[in-house]
Amino acid sequence: MLQETKDKYNFDLRRIQKELDLDFLGTIKLVNYIRSQVKAGNLSPDVSSKSNFEDEVYLKPVLEDDALLYSLDDIEDQDPEVPGGTEAERRVTELQEDLERLQSQFSEYRIAVQKSMEEQLSKEDEKLISAASSAQKSTSKAEAIDSDYFSSYSYNGIHESMLKDAIRTDGYRDFIYENKHLFKDKVVLDVGCGTGILSMFCAKAGARKVISVDNSNIIDRAKEIIHENGFGDVITCIRGKIEEVTLPVPQVDIIVSEWMGYCLLFEAMFDSVIFARDRYLAPGGLMVPSHATLRIAPFADPDFIDSHISFWNDVYGFNMRSMLTGIYDEALVRSVQPSTIPGDSSVFLPLPLHTITVDELSFLKEFQVTLNEDVDSLDGWAIWFDIFFMPSRDSPISDDAIPSEMQKKGFVAFTTGPDGPETHWQQGILLIDHGKKSALPLKKGQTITGKVGYQKKSKESRSLDISIEWNVQEGEKGSQEWSLQ
Amino acid sequence: MPKAMGINERMPRRKVQQFQAHGQHDPNHTDGRQEGPCFKDDVRTRSYRDSIYQNRHIFKDKVVLDVGCGTGILSMFAAKAGAKHVIGVDMSSIIEKAKQIVACNGLSDKITLLQGKMEEVVLPYPKVDIIISEWMGYFLLYESMLDTVLYARDRYLVPGGKIFPDKATMYLAAIEDGEYKDDKIGFWDNVYGFDYSPMKEIALTEPLVDTVEMKALVTDPCPIITLDLYTVTPADLAFKVPFSLTAKRSDFIHAVIAWFDIEFGACHKPITFSTGPHAKYTHWKQTVFYLRDVLTVEEEEVVSGVLENKPNDKNKRDLDITISYKFETTDNLRYSEGSCFYRMC
Repeated sequence: MLQETKDKYNFDLRRIQKELDLDFLGTIKLVNYIRSQVKAGNLSPDVSSKSNFEDEVYLKPVLEDDALLYSLDDIEDQDPEVPGGTEAERRVTELQEDLERLQSQFSEYRIAVQKSMEEQLSKEDEKLISAASSAQKSTSKAEAIDSDYFSSYSYNGIHESMLKDAIRTDGYRDFIYENKHLFKDKVVLDVGCGTGILSMFCAKAGARKVISVDNSNIIDRAKEIIHENGFGDVITCIRGKIEEVTLPVPQVDIIVSEWMGYCLLFEAMFDSVIFARDRYLAPGGLMVPSHATLRIAPFADPDFIDSHISFWNDVYGFNMRSMLTGIYDEALVRSVQPSTIPGDSSVFLPLPLHTITVDELSFLKEFQVTLNEDVDSLDGWAIWFDIFFMPSRDSPISDDAIPSEMQKKGFVAFTTGPDGPETHWQQGILLIDHGKKSALPLKKGQTITGKVGYQKKSKESRSLDISIEWNVQEGEKGSQEWSLQ
Repeated sequence: MPKAMGINERMPRRKVQQFQAHGQHDPNHTDGRQEGPCFKDDVRTRSYRDSIYQNRHIFKDKVVLDVGCGTGILSMFAAKAGAKHVIGVDMSSIIEKAKQIVACNGLSDKITLLQGKMEEVVLPYPKVDIIISEWMGYFLLYESMLDTVLYARDRYLVPGGKIFPDKATMYLAAIEDGEYKDDKIGFWDNVYGFDYSPMKEIALTEPLVDTVEMKALVTDPCPIITLDLYTVTPADLAFKVPFSLTAKRSDFIHAVIAWFDIEFGACHKPITFSTGPHAKYTHWKQTVFYLRDVLTVEEEEVVSGVLENKPNDKNKRDLDITISYKFETTDNLRYSEGSCFYRMC
């Protein structure tokens, strides 16, 4: 058959195999590539370069039960250059080796096909059509997570909810417009620009140049919006990851970014902002916002526990307590009333954005809170963050600054805590599993000390593990871990 | 920024988060909607429960298949109603929870739970007498499991077997929704002083899943299609149907809304529930399609048109919906016609 193709179509599979140095999988891809091209009507597929058929998609057989694929390794046997064995023993050994090689090759092939099919299927879930065609070489799970992450920002709805979060958007706007002198003639980098709102604030405030980077499809909308608002000359949009793109400038004067996730660090976008700062921010340059604090407070809400946990005891006459398995392992994101916080809150991590490092984002920090009312049970913990926009990197600000007080002093700041107006970040709620023993009532004035730990699930993951150890003065002790994903 | 909004792993069939729950149409339902447990949706689960418990004579000693069984609540209803055996099938790993739940309710010997695709799992019975399924999606068909139910019907249901529910009817009506259209669509005209019209174009093609107040209705409802589950085929799920909406009062029309009613016709006494604006809240709410133009109608005037629905060519799970309308009136200044395209994705 190979001889036939060679004679009739001037196609020498073995020669191409050698020239391009194709391994087993490479040869399979070559065959499927040719088959798919021919099927699509191209009778002389370009086989001059390996890159034409590198794509994993060519691991998938084009013909069902393609006889050629199954006999690929025979090709080598037929190769006249392979010296045939004369001694029976040597031949047996060779055959055994062949068999082993064949088996391992086929299991590799099977795994590769499986993997590629699974990817195809999961790609269907992804609405990012362009990414599917251009980024198909990505195979690792981490990249799949990443692509889910970025495509989640390609929908209108998410941007609508962020833009309509006035606490958030007003905060940035107020700082930028009230400090136009800081932006005048400056070069600004907007990390994760989304629809470009912060970039346009900066342009309007007089920035000489704004570079807006985002790795989501939304940047196409941002470009249109920026153009329609006449900022096309000032703002340059670049699609890609900040770690990978090439900026048109060596350094920038200001980095503006809205990177905050649930419990502040969910999504791990801040890592990218730190990268951008270390790589591009000029000495003395400004981070906007400039400071963040993470706070923790006790949480007690019997009604919530009732609807969230007790509900499963009897669902239409059935016991569904199995649904509770793992319910305490997951951090919830909820907007809670101030009345559910029976104590003060404590800053467990101040984040000076100009200097903090990625390493410092995994931590174990102490806290201390005091109850200001009696509660029947400590149901959990609430975590939130506050954001501060200081006009210079040297502006003094205390580690436990309070947004409302900073506002009184004329600074721009906002809280995402239960005492402030609701934001789309809400609060992180970590429910305590009291297990079999019932929770102890706590008294007003009692102090709870403890430690909060933040740990990224893994290097690639954008989810977050939070651990808390606590020790009630003359009361219960506990420790628990939650995952936010 | 919030986490991945397009993806809701716990309930992949209902991308609740992508369709914003804003609660302005119905302030009573701002809370707990994204919460998860489906059976907090009383109307739905009660209808299933009643249609099963009130028809024990139909379920007695029957083999029942629960397509997309989730936590197994419908399977347990059927088992309690006296079924000989219930087979629950679901692709999701929720089936592990379902097994635990079924066990702790002492029904393990009555219910077999299988994880996998309907097309691939091997049932312990060659045929089933009854299929139960809660397959409906937003706009009835968005990410619905109807295809799977039809596959199960053709492969497993005995001749004369029953399907619970067995009938779904879609309705259209037109609404006055100026204030909210302004908030959803007009919002993009001026975002902090900037023109965001590129986002507006997309917003206009995105149907909104939301609760609509009864008083917003300007026209009578118009049934557009009824799916009879005993006879419908997957090909029938792409359709082009006419509608005619008669104004009940003089008002403006900003949007067309769609909803569906579900009927358990196999019951001794048929049980129905509606997801319309007149009925009790369900998590399906209604689907709102904003028109580009505002129509000014007077009582008894008619807006007629055609609704076309088909799965997107590239992504079968997405729906491409076109609503073409004509509002004919003797008043030339109010005459209007148009065609709007929407995609549910």
